Amino acid sequence: MKLRNFPGPVTPAVALVCRLTVAAVFLYAGCEKIIAPQEFATAIYNYRLLPDWAINVLAVTLPYLEVLLAVCLLVSIYVRGASFIAALLFLVFAIALTINLVRGLDISCGCFGGLTGSISWFYLVRDVALMAISVFALFFDRGWSYFFTR
Amino acid sequence: MKHIIKIKDKPHKINLNVIVKESLVILVMAVTIAVAINELRQASLPLFGFDSTKIAGIIRTNIPKITLTEAYNLYRQHKVVFVDARDPFSFEEGHIKGAINMYPDEVAFRLAQLKAMLSAESIVVTYCDGLQCPLSQETAQALQSHGVPVVKVLADGWNLWINAGYPVTKGQI
Repeated sequence: MKLRNFPGPVTPAVALVCRLTVAAVFLYAGCEKIIAPQEFATAIYNYRLLPDWAINVLAVTLPYLEVLLAVCLLVSIYVRGASFIAALLFLVFAIALTINLVRGLDISCGCFGGLTGSISWFYLVRDVALMAISVFALFFDRGWSYFFTR
Repeated sequence: MKHIIKIKDKPHKINLNVIVKESLVILVMAVTIAVAINELRQASLPLFGFDSTKIAGIIRTNIPKITLTEAYNLYRQHKVVFVDARDPFSFEEGHIKGAINMYPDEVAFRLAQLKAMLSAESIVVTYCDGLQCPLSQETAQALQSHGVPVVKVLADGWNLWINAGYPVTKGQI
């Protein structure tokens, strides 16, 4: 197996880095949330955006969705769907963060598990940046086969 | 020496059908795996059983209510500390003069500030906006569970207070 098309042309290589970055972020975030589901449920509750019945549903499913997205992006299967959901998730997170930043609530971000730092505008910028690179991966990623040949 | 990088690659033609199909597969798989593992693991969460009162460490008790007239009389005698349970943005827009802003979640770490304002005779009155607003009740419960001796709720407090033309102020405290 030989490496080809790397580091040039630029765009697919950048898209590869974007895809792997999003994968790493989701893998870490998902695992941290799976370890302590109760704390993550509390973090979701603190956002004051969902009714009680929806909180545990989200606290149980979201971490596994994140890990599954990470796996898809890492091994390059269903990349279109995975990067689309990733961008959508980051958009939803951005909306939730913005609402609570405007409300002025001092709550845990819950970005990487329940006990992470208080929400701030930096977290929103980071989230929007991750959304942008997910969109980039969605449009430009070419999968592993583009970079390797037998 | 000039380095010119030409980006020849154009974005893929995005096939919406493919995106929707792949997204659905991923979502269904994630939900199935999540529910299955949640059922199997020891530290599982009841899927629809989130109890916010348990999480906040609040025991639901009925907090006594106070009327506007009683609250205002105590206010004139400096025997009340008002706790505004609304969000900080609404608080900054306007609140009862002398009130402090405390969301139910913030009670634990803002308690010292409140206790410093209390005298032996004074009571705490929580309020928010609207008869349906649960925040004054929740903050009052949290205060009571943290050992504040006399806490009462002024139902629909902000609305009643401002309509009565009693003293209000703006900004943070």
